[in-house]
Amino acid sequence: MNGAPYGRWLPWNASEHGGQIDSLIDVIHWFMLILFVGWGIFFVYCLVRFRQKPGRNAAYELPKGAASKYAEVGVAIFEGFLLFGLSVPLWSRYKTAPPPPEKRMDVTAIGEQFAWNFHYPGKDGKYGRLDPTLISSSNLLGLDKDGDPAAEDDIVSPELHVPLNQDVYVRIRSKDVIHSFAIPAMRVKQDAVPGMEVPVWFKPTRSSDEFREAMAREYSLDQPTPLFNKKKAGLILMEDYPASGEPVAHKGDALVNATVEKLLAAGIKTVRAAPRATMEVVCAQLCGMNHYSMKAPLFVDTPEQFEAWKTAQSAEIEIDLE
Amino acid sequence: MSTHAAAQAHAGHDQHGSGHDHHAHSSWWRTYVFSTDHKTIGIQYTITALCFLAFGFGLMLIMRWQLAYPSDPIPLIGGLLGKSLVESGVLTGQGYNALGAMHGTIMVFMAIVPLAVGGFGNYVVPLMVGAQDMAFPRLNMASYWVFLPGGLIMLASFFMPGGPAASGWTSYPPLSNIATMGQTAWLIGMIFLITSSLLGSVNFIVTIVQLRAPGLSMFRLPFFVWAQFVTAFLLLLAFPPLEAAGVLQLMDRVAGTSFFMPQGLVVSQKLHEAVGGGSPLLWQHLFWFLAHPEVYVLILPALGIVSEVIAANTRKPLWGYKSLVYAALFLGFMSFIVWAHHMFMTGMGTTLSTFFQITTMIISIPSVIVLTALIISYHGASIRYSVPMLFATAFLPMFAIGGLTGLPLGLTASDIHLHDTYYVIGHFHYVVAPGTIFAMFAGIYHWFPKVTGRMMNRTLGLIHFWFSFIFINGVFMPMFFMGMAGALRRQYDPEAQLHAETVQGLSRMVSYSAWCLAAVQIPFVINFFRSIWSGQPASQNPWQATTLEWAAPSPPPHGNFAQVPTVHCGPYEYSVPGERRDFCPQFEAREA
Ligand code: HEM
Ligand SMILES: [Cu+2]
Ligand SMILES: [Cu+2]
Repeated sequence: MNGAPYGRWLPWNASEHGGQIDSLIDVIHWFMLILFVGWGIFFVYCLVRFRQKPGRNAAYELPKGAASKYAEVGVAIFEGFLLFGLSVPLWSRYKTAPPPPEKRMDVTAIGEQFAWNFHYPGKDGKYGRLDPTLISSSNLLGLDKDGDPAAEDDIVSPELHVPLNQDVYVRIRSKDVIHSFAIPAMRVKQDAVPGMEVPVWFKPTRSSDEFREAMAREYSLDQPTPLFNKKKAGLILMEDYPASGEPVAHKGDALVNATVEKLLAAGIKTVRAAPRATMEVVCAQLCGMNHYSMKAPLFVDTPEQFEAWKTAQSAEIEIDLE
Repeated sequence: MSTHAAAQAHAGHDQHGSGHDHHAHSSWWRTYVFSTDHKTIGIQYTITALCFLAFGFGLMLIMRWQLAYPSDPIPLIGGLLGKSLVESGVLTGQGYNALGAMHGTIMVFMAIVPLAVGGFGNYVVPLMVGAQDMAFPRLNMASYWVFLPGGLIMLASFFMPGGPAASGWTSYPPLSNIATMGQTAWLIGMIFLITSSLLGSVNFIVTIVQLRAPGLSMFRLPFFVWAQFVTAFLLLLAFPPLEAAGVLQLMDRVAGTSFFMPQGLVVSQKLHEAVGGGSPLLWQHLFWFLAHPEVYVLILPALGIVSEVIAANTRKPLWGYKSLVYAALFLGFMSFIVWAHHMFMTGMGTTLSTFFQITTMIISIPSVIVLTALIISYHGASIRYSVPMLFATAFLPMFAIGGLTGLPLGLTASDIHLHDTYYVIGHFHYVVAPGTIFAMFAGIYHWFPKVTGRMMNRTLGLIHFWFSFIFINGVFMPMFFMGMAGALRRQYDPEAQLHAETVQGLSRMVSYSAWCLAAVQIPFVINFFRSIWSGQPASQNPWQATTLEWAAPSPPPHGNFAQVPTVHCGPYEYSVPGERRDFCPQFEAREA
């Protein structure tokens, strides 16, 4: 794969099962194209050849040809193949055999107007109790930290972090209306229906770093306004600047105005930067007025990055408790 | 009344039923407003539906501004729109959702269905079967007068506190249950619209079964009548569940029930007071049980119109008339057992999803048969490129694109990526916009001389056709690429998501095309009105066509036919070898 992860056709696929979905989509589209072009040639031929001309009459009966029968039967057979050869096996393989608990990373995704929150069971591997009556703006999920010991080490995060090359098992829930948990880069989509808990699973096979490297571009700092006006902002530096000597800004620093000022002061006019979040969990089901803004960054971490993130989250929990 | 109409049917058609007599000396009101004449009602439906069509299109033109230039003030009209839609000239997220929901609702329930069934069906079906009117003329009138208030209630909801409904034309609860008052108006409006369709559908079925002219056996019916026949059954059988669902949702909203509300909802960090125990998915099942057949309600009359226009302008019999009829019947039947393909992502197991994938693939076969038959009809033809013929011809490939793109959506595995993206929007619009709406235009140009006694202007018609053809593809073709890239539907800010930024250029192109498409409707509007008053006078049968409506004078008087026609042959006897002319109308006996 080359080019940019996102373009005008399928985005890069970053999951194990996604490749098969992509090939199915490809096969169907080739099939559609062939049918369309085949029909089209015949049709255009007729449009030109059989236009009204003086002295020529239309044919009352066509010679009996079986071509259309063959075409129709051919279409039916090929559709049967798409269905029983590709789609059904793919769906059942992907949907019926969840990865075994000991091999997978567990997390619950809970949708609300207009955010995703992710609940990790923590070191003990047990989810703490969620109690709707405890919900408040500081305890978004109503996690029962005082009443349930299993809740003590749970992590609740607005970002989804998953380890590279390990199965991820996500339970999808909603607090209020119907949302849809969708990760275009992972070819994952599952509605979050209140009152139901439905799992999805996938295995990330490409890291955020790989995406970020492909998405990195040169940004000119001279005219920063349009860049930073964008709500998408959230760019980070891909290198230390300046390259030699004492850096004024480090790889991974957010490209906020303060950083830009430092860089400009050091005489640096262009930098290579990329979005911090290169994949997103979005909401694919209309859920109210800010539906469009309901998204969470997804990070596919290397094992070290993932451990580091968890440790940092636990540290925050400690602070919370004090 | 029903016994009267039935009696009339049995008595044959040689005399004008006494039930209509009061018209002879009736008031202006009875003739033009509360008329029971199917032609007047057909025209009322057509005009009303065209107005709603323009209005629904207008809403989309506003939304396209936000999608091309996110968060820029809307030029010209930004200041005129109410607070529920815009803030300091900029469309709000709530306003965007409201316009979107109303666009869908208006287009489907207030524009296309009333136009295709209420307008074309009402006007043309009785003429085509050689009847003097519909079987139940007063029921017919009631149908229009229930439809109009339904539409007006929908429009009135724009002035309600909080604006109109904003939960999509699909109105999924719990979102719709907790929405502002506009949703209540939506539900009440829907109940009116559905009731109107039910009244209409009974009427069509009885008319087609009971009031056919002597000699007009079922297999001599023009395909358009068959299409309306199947459509009427779909309306009759599919709408009641939605009507029931609408009432249930209304109760949820106003009477404190919770049919669609589960336990323990927490809205904005507060426990919701609904008692719970309901199921949000129940609504989706009820809704799609209607709404999938509904999509065939949108397309079957269009196929019917296109078939008539193609037969008349290829000057030869439709290829495979019987297979067309069987395909339509089969489509109608199958359309009741595919609904859950709209719900693949709700968490369906393999067994259920396999069932609905199979039925969905099966339903695509009759669609292929219909399309193939129509295309083969061009072979060996003597094609007359009239304006209606151009619209009908362009319909075919665009309908094909719509149908083909249904395939990846109907297979669960590929639907994972494509569901709820612009790909879906592209798919169904190719069926209903470049598809059905083009067919509607074909029908308007085709039957205009019958209705008004005058021809529409060809030059203006050509301008209208070619530019519409270009721009409508400019609107919908890019959507497949946007959807493939992952861009989701119902997004107020098209750039909010990473994967959608790369297709923002396409989104802007869609907007430009949409505005141009609006502009090129002006020749049509001019042509329409100018031709009513000063078009070239049309003869009784200007297209030299064969079906019964051309046996009536243009425009047909009250009671339709000077003399009830007797039918001598099938509907499409064109270019019969050995005949003097290249068409043998159903209503003329052939010389031996
Ligand atoms: C050739 C056969 C067809 C197939 C296989 C097919 C398949 C589908 C599927 C599977 C969906 C759901 C997509 C999704 O949400 O992921 C869909 C959506 C839709 N289809 Fe079709 N379709 C076909 C023909 C039609 C026709 C004839 C119409 C007529 C107007 C139509 C109108 C629609 C509409 C309106 C939607 C969108 C509903 C919504 O979510 O708002 N389709 N189609
Ligand atoms: Cu949402
Ligand atoms: Cu459907």
